[in-house]
Amino acid sequence: MRFRIEQRTEPSASMRVAAPVVATVLTLLVGSAMFAVLGYDPLSTLQAFFIAPLNSMNGLSELLLKASPLILIGCGLAVGFRANVWNIGAEGQLIIGAIAACGVGLFYPDPESPLLLPLMVLAGACAGMLWAAIPAFLRARMNTNEILVTLMLTYIATLFLSWLVHGPWRDPAGFNYPQTALLPAAAMFEPFDYSYRLNPSIFITGVAVLVMWLFTDRSFLGYKMSVGGAAPLAARYAGFRESAAVWTGLLAGGAAAGIAGMAELSGPLGQLSPQISPGYGFAAIIVAFIGRLNAFGIVLGGLLMSLLFLGGETVQLTLGLSSSLTRVFQGILLFFLLAADFFIFYRIRLIPEHA
Amino acid sequence: MHNLNRRQFLQYSSAVGAAIGTGGFAGIANAQEVLKMGVVYVSPIAEIGWTKQHSLAVDAVKAELGDKVEITVIDNIFMPQDAERVFRELAASGNRLIFGTSFSHGTPLQKVAPRFPKVAFEHCSGIVHLPNLGTFEAKYYEGCYVAGAAGAHMSKTGKIGFIGGFPIPDIVGPANALLLGAQSVNPDITCNALFLNSWFDPGKEKEAANTLVSQGCDVICSMTDTATGVQVAGEKGAWSIGYASDMSKFGSGKQLTAFTLDWSSDYLRAAKGVLEGNWKPEVRWDGLAAGVVKMAPYNEAIPADVIAKLKQLEADIGSGKVHPYAGELKDQDGNVKVPAGAVLADADIRGMNWFVKGMIGKLS
Amino acid sequence: MIPRLELRNISKRYPGVVANDDISMTILPGEIHAVLGENGAGKSTLMKIIYGAAQADSGEIVCDGKLIEAHNPATSRALGIEMVYQHFALFESVTVVENIALAVSGAFDLNALAAQITELSARYGMPIDPWQRVHDLSVGERQRVEIVRCLLQSPKLLILDEPTSVLTPQAVTKLFETLRQLASEGCSILYISHKLDEVQELCDSATVLRNGKVTGAARPKETTAIELARMMVGSKLPEMHVTPSVRSEKPVLSVRGLSAPAGKSGIALSDISFDVHGGEIVGLAGVSGNGQAELISLLSGERLHRDGGSIGIDGKPVDRLDAAARRKLGLTFVPEERLGRGAVPPHSLWQNAVLTGHKAGLVRRGLVDRGKANGFARAVIEKFKVKANGVQAAAQSLSGGNLQKYIVGREIALQPKLLLVSQPTWGVDVGAAAFIRQTLVDLSRAGAAVLVVSEELDELFEICDRLLVICQGRVSPSLIRTQTNREEVGLLMTRIGGNNETGRSGQVALQN
Repeated sequence: MRFRIEQRTEPSASMRVAAPVVATVLTLLVGSAMFAVLGYDPLSTLQAFFIAPLNSMNGLSELLLKASPLILIGCGLAVGFRANVWNIGAEGQLIIGAIAACGVGLFYPDPESPLLLPLMVLAGACAGMLWAAIPAFLRARMNTNEILVTLMLTYIATLFLSWLVHGPWRDPAGFNYPQTALLPAAAMFEPFDYSYRLNPSIFITGVAVLVMWLFTDRSFLGYKMSVGGAAPLAARYAGFRESAAVWTGLLAGGAAAGIAGMAELSGPLGQLSPQISPGYGFAAIIVAFIGRLNAFGIVLGGLLMSLLFLGGETVQLTLGLSSSLTRVFQGILLFFLLAADFFIFYRIRLIPEHA
Repeated sequence: MHNLNRRQFLQYSSAVGAAIGTGGFAGIANAQEVLKMGVVYVSPIAEIGWTKQHSLAVDAVKAELGDKVEITVIDNIFMPQDAERVFRELAASGNRLIFGTSFSHGTPLQKVAPRFPKVAFEHCSGIVHLPNLGTFEAKYYEGCYVAGAAGAHMSKTGKIGFIGGFPIPDIVGPANALLLGAQSVNPDITCNALFLNSWFDPGKEKEAANTLVSQGCDVICSMTDTATGVQVAGEKGAWSIGYASDMSKFGSGKQLTAFTLDWSSDYLRAAKGVLEGNWKPEVRWDGLAAGVVKMAPYNEAIPADVIAKLKQLEADIGSGKVHPYAGELKDQDGNVKVPAGAVLADADIRGMNWFVKGMIGKLS
Repeated sequence: MIPRLELRNISKRYPGVVANDDISMTILPGEIHAVLGENGAGKSTLMKIIYGAAQADSGEIVCDGKLIEAHNPATSRALGIEMVYQHFALFESVTVVENIALAVSGAFDLNALAAQITELSARYGMPIDPWQRVHDLSVGERQRVEIVRCLLQSPKLLILDEPTSVLTPQAVTKLFETLRQLASEGCSILYISHKLDEVQELCDSATVLRNGKVTGAARPKETTAIELARMMVGSKLPEMHVTPSVRSEKPVLSVRGLSAPAGKSGIALSDISFDVHGGEIVGLAGVSGNGQAELISLLSGERLHRDGGSIGIDGKPVDRLDAAARRKLGLTFVPEERLGRGAVPPHSLWQNAVLTGHKAGLVRRGLVDRGKANGFARAVIEKFKVKANGVQAAAQSLSGGNLQKYIVGREIALQPKLLLVSQPTWGVDVGAAAFIRQTLVDLSRAGAAVLVVSEELDELFEICDRLLVICQGRVSPSLIRTQTNREEVGLLMTRIGGNNETGRSGQVALQN
């Protein structure tokens, strides 16, 4: 017997449903085996990983708080990914968004103005879009590779942030440590309940998900972009402009990442320091693909990534598993999820040997 | 609380415990109960380095207090967003003493501490204090000064190289002390300084160490979270000075000494304080005298009489006879920052963002 | 005599299509054997199976009396089976000898190899310079490189897939001489074609395929063209109804002095002028690769011309308008490539309806109206009898012919004033081809202007009112169909404006 991998003529509808289930089952099996070999009770480990973080209001609040930027950025990126516009620099756009928002928050003449927060959202979105407009312009006009440009701009954004917090924006009362002053209260999202950290910025993410769904699933512009992604010659044939897809894709990602940066700043952070994002801009790429570039899929993907992260902490706190082990487990799940999707489009065929 | 200025800082340094701590925690401590204690590390525990030294202190607590404490450790928490959640989680799950071990844990601790007034928080390398948030920090500069003196004794080129993680006062100050210690032996010695903008980037650090060696530095001191500086120096035949942990086994026999960190006293004091009901939020800042900073065994290549001098220097710094930042101190441009006969004020040490004369390199 | 190659009951099915159904045939040493059939009859699949590039689901292949097992191109080459593909697989940026060296297994010496190439190519009367870069070669020369590459392996069986579709009649004559010489030396040749005259001229025997089945075996030189054609297309040849044309007074499409530089591996267009009026079908004939693709993409607006000349639709200049803007003026277009250009492969049929149908009310206030798109797609499927698994079927799941019907149907359903069609019936079965042709005629008689680009002269003569011929990027003056004949058109296909001397070796071989 030999095996051969073949492309399916049509994506398998049953695999589409089965893939995540299969991936989950495989992860649970492999993960259990791993935990058992290392001397941990698999059941209680998995319980601590997936159930314990959701057992309290605080856990749910934290889950959403961490998932929110992932979902928001994932939605923005997916708009571009659907059109083969590969913005992998959301991290940089997030940083620039946070910087712009922080600038407004720190230097707006009236630190108690109710306008402050909306202005900061606007500043974050505009700055993220501006940062994404650079690769858009270069790709649309000079056909540069946006993967490289967006990635390199991330480094520039990081260094710019570092310069700001080490230099001009350093908190004058902060013993020269590289961080800005804390933002005034009016520049912060007020948590729903001070016992928890979740704040109204989650509504922005909610709106973004709906807009993303409407855009990709129903709008003509989204349709045009998906044509450009799947068949560039067909887009040209129909007269859809490629540059429009490039601009839309990159600006959507930039705006989402910029707002996410602002929401981190005005939510859990409260100030800028040299590192403000735990890699949300990069993790959101995985989220977008786990969600199959679909708005509601991305919501699930973001919640899953967030849960994996919180679960990793919980097993460390309650069972003393090392953080390296939890990362391995997270890797296993992501691997199976993305690998199982392969079988939606491909299948393995057994080829009988000739007699 | 963030609007702390330097004067207030000094007040806190001297009197914060007395002002707000007395009796405040007697009520929450209960000697009969096991003390649940949580520690948050900024990185995974490695063979050497910052987190390793904290884990040794935790081990010391376990060894001395045994089953009177139950310690929960969580590692690899750097980002403020995540730290705040973990501190909350630890506080909410019954831990009565919680340690943050990174500067980046500061703002989260400031946010969480007021929500759990009955929990004692300790922040290593913190700068902000609250009624239930104390800080502890080491006087790296004391060890650095001695190490600098050792380097000057052994340097042939009269050039020292310094690699720092970030250009923050915690690193800039020791870099200055390194050179000042060296200048106490050889007034003409200079120090080239480079910053990686990362605590952990072996690739970049290797490049930096190579650069410094090629610039003629024959003593390399690296204040990062790796042994790369010591290792590269050893490979290139330059002397090295370790930081945080004794890194002699990475140095090809070329590590002169290391200024190591031993936080056991800080951890033990806090743990006992909570157990006994008399914990107070203190501002602890100790060096050679208290044993928080310790010099690793000196390299055998150093002549015995020099080693004797260095040990005397350790003792003199410990007793206060020698102050590393004693005047006259000039900055890179020759402006007098501390006149002769005076010493740099503590708050200015903790906020040091300028290089002394003889430092070669830029801050920022 | 032991047959060089024997096929026994070969079957191969792709989802939804039986490409080869129980095919058996025998080729003797030194025989030139034709595999005849219309596009889509299963010829190419069969050749891939023989060469090992595809595996049969059932059946056996016997070479020189031995059963071939674990078949792939490497085992084929080891057995002496070589294949010249319709579309060449050459690296354009390197020289001929380097290209050939890539196919040689084991160590090689470039100079020795070059000498071998020169010797071999001279012996078979198709000289090529081994040190020339491939991108400087004409299409005919490239084909020689492919053939020489095969000959270097001293093949026992040479497969040629539609080798003349890119050649001029003169180059074809030369190729045939080479093939005859090869056969006389004992090499068997499998010659795949749908062109009857060539097969009759060249081949000793023929196997005819229709819908994946063998429908006859013949000795072409002893069989009439009509008999062969009947085997190819079945007994019933549908009839066309072509009523006289009523031309509109003013042209719908008018092209004046259009020139464009050669793009990448393309051909330059020079000074093209013609009109297409409402109510008539104008055909553009020519050997493939003479500028048809460039011209049609300039007309459709997929590319904009920068050089001189003008294009007008309905009296309005459209030179600066892109494809979408020209469509607004009533243009629709069926491109040669269906998958990836005329349709988005992974998209469903209803989504592909929106591709060009968006202006026909399928989009409202920026949102796609799925109900209307479904209805539109369903109507096209019904009217053009597209075999598909409903409007949800992905475009890539359809067979080439069915997708062609869908795309033609979609573009016609948009009620164009001007329809551009490239290769309208390429790969479509005979019945459907007749239906498409009839639809084009009906569309034009209803007043639309239709421009048909086709390599099939028969097709053009059947439906067109006037004919244009393109050669070397130049277009001939128009010929009235009823006042011209194949010979005149054939001549124009190779020489317009006396610009026919292109082959370096004195052979006419047209640039691709």
